[in-house]
Amino acid sequence: MKVRYSYLKQQFENADDLWEQLKSFVSTGDFTLGKPLTEFEQKFAQLMGSKHAIGVNSGTDAIKLALKAKGIGFGDEVITAANTFVATVGAIMELGAIPVFVDCNDTFCMNVDLLENAITSKTKAIVPVHFTGYMTDMRKLLPIAQKYNLVVVEDACQSILGAIDGKKAGTWSSAGAFSLHPLKNLNVWSDGGVIITDDDHLDQQLRLLRNHGMVDRDTIGIMGYNSRLDTIQAVVGNWLIPQTVSIAEARIKNAAYYDKNFKTIGQIIIPPRPKDFNIVYHLYIVFAKQREELLKYCLSRGIEAKVHYPVPIYRQPALAHLGHKEGDFPVTDEHTHKIITFPCDQHISKNEMDYVIQTVSNFYK
Amino acid sequence: MKVNVPYINLPMQWKAEREFLLLIIEDVMSSGDFIGGARVEGFEHSVSALCETDFCVALNSGTDALVTGLVAMGIGRGDEVITPPNSFVASTAAISHIGAVPVFVDVVSDQSIDASKIEAAITKKTKAIMPVHLTGRMAQMDTIMEIADHFKIGVIEDSAQSIGSKFNTKSSGSIGQVGCFSTHPLKNLNACGDGGFLITNNRDIADRVRSLRNHGLLDRNTVKEFGYVSRMDALQASILTYRLNKLESVTSKRQHNASLYDELLDREYCFTPEPDSKIFNTYHTYVIQVSNRDGLQRYLTERGIGTAIHYPIPIHLQPAAKNLGYKLGDFPVTESQAGKILSLPIHQFLKDSDIETVASTVNKFFREAE
Repeated sequence: MKVRYSYLKQQFENADDLWEQLKSFVSTGDFTLGKPLTEFEQKFAQLMGSKHAIGVNSGTDAIKLALKAKGIGFGDEVITAANTFVATVGAIMELGAIPVFVDCNDTFCMNVDLLENAITSKTKAIVPVHFTGYMTDMRKLLPIAQKYNLVVVEDACQSILGAIDGKKAGTWSSAGAFSLHPLKNLNVWSDGGVIITDDDHLDQQLRLLRNHGMVDRDTIGIMGYNSRLDTIQAVVGNWLIPQTVSIAEARIKNAAYYDKNFKTIGQIIIPPRPKDFNIVYHLYIVFAKQREELLKYCLSRGIEAKVHYPVPIYRQPALAHLGHKEGDFPVTDEHTHKIITFPCDQHISKNEMDYVIQTVSNFYK
Repeated sequence: MKVNVPYINLPMQWKAEREFLLLIIEDVMSSGDFIGGARVEGFEHSVSALCETDFCVALNSGTDALVTGLVAMGIGRGDEVITPPNSFVASTAAISHIGAVPVFVDVVSDQSIDASKIEAAITKKTKAIMPVHLTGRMAQMDTIMEIADHFKIGVIEDSAQSIGSKFNTKSSGSIGQVGCFSTHPLKNLNACGDGGFLITNNRDIADRVRSLRNHGLLDRNTVKEFGYVSRMDALQASILTYRLNKLESVTSKRQHNASLYDELLDREYCFTPEPDSKIFNTYHTYVIQVSNRDGLQRYLTERGIGTAIHYPIPIHLQPAAKNLGYKLGDFPVTESQAGKILSLPIHQFLKDSDIETVASTVNKFFREAE
């Protein structure tokens, strides 16, 4: 049996109505900042309960543009989680700012208890990463940000509809950054991203930044970027967005099924599942004994298991100049040896999950 | 009399290509292969063949081609890059974004950088020249390359408006270290969304840009330098590969339209640069320089003829460029042209009769005024 990681072929198998919508859209020629994009932005804002949503070219750009619009630049320190995906740090570095790391905890998000120690006189912003579909504990983070007067931009790329106490990821701070990459819970057919905010001025700045700083066709207000969500992709987004809630529900249900069964395997430890968190399982990760062997065993039996990520960002060659060494962020380091990700998407069948569970169980026997 | 000659006509393009584009969309949709992959590589190979360069790297936009090109050439904070101030803002913005300093040099009558003024702008900090082949007509690349070689600085061509153009038989973008192109929907080679690419003969530059466009990842787990997210998607790459086959006919139709204008427009009122035997011009735009430009534009609009101005406010006078410290009067040719230039419809779906209508309406405007 084969349990694939990517489900994109299945996702668009029965999409005749999308096909019709694409056909009629392409004939309009409305390709740049077109009408379907405005519609998508309205729907996204509505889904999140935010005042504004701005479509951009990627989740990375969503983080970058939000930080830039909040005045973060050369030499500023920006605090983020030591275990994040490369994009969070790439966005900070592109602005000439300096990433400062805080270790994570077993929810794969920043351990906010360690945050205050990382703040210096140069700290200008915090980018909490709501990694894997969990959320950083914003209830604890926000008072600290307020105390030190720091900008907060949430990296919510992996946690659309994730929430704590019912309050959604991305809505806790100045701006929330989302990705629409094909492998995300809400996806399009290319790179894509969205920024949400309730701040009218920020909304205006972000719309300038994504479109060459153009106030109107002839006036360049600020030096901007070319970072527009393609309107043709917004057509795909408009088709998919009504499914976002059911996609999250399906993933939550699948995760619960895995949890229930993996609990019976002593060598697998399930991360904490706090009751006040709505975890949307962009990635379903558990801690495993003999992870390397288990990974190989699964791969050899057709299961596309993965590791997110084997080398933490803070130890990458690109950050050698910061002088970090293994052991600086012990929880992050420890995770690299025991985390394993199993397919948990909305298209996976119970049969496939049973096969995964059985394979893991057989490995330890 | 009211006519209907739009400046651009994307729905017409769709009509002409409908059955092929539908197949392309369906093919990509059913493949699930959306980012990178064989379709993007195929497009890159076709471009390399057309431009006769060793490498092409497909990206998310022409702006990104300029940014990643500059970075891969080793240009960064504090370095100076020489460029003309009459371009679209993206050329200058790309220089600014990487922390480098744009240094402007005025243009000549054909709107390309005045090569005779470049040397005076070179300082110890100058790292590159970024000529812009505006309108599809190339800058004086022989002189520019001589200067660059003499001072041992790089050349990055902003070829966003000049796919297929040539200077002394060499393709636009293939003469400097790097050539940067846009495939924005309004370009001669256009996608159905943002897109761009970079061409080069330098393997190190190509490899570095390939990594830069994908977060700086060398492989799934290794980052040696931080990058960007600037990948061309498979859908746009497929559309572009299809349209690349039609580029030659698009170019000749635009050249035909231009020669009709050349013949029909009254030279007494409309200035256009003399043809240059070294330059193969692909006419991304057909720009006339006239007095009472705003009056003419209104007159044409009222009669159903779409026009555009590329660009009415030079970059050095934009609010966004305030910190660069330039002022009105610094670049007299650019500033004077900004008040005179008008782009007439030139796209490949125009009929000869459309061109005749536009030309006679322009001539009529000026003759009436006398």
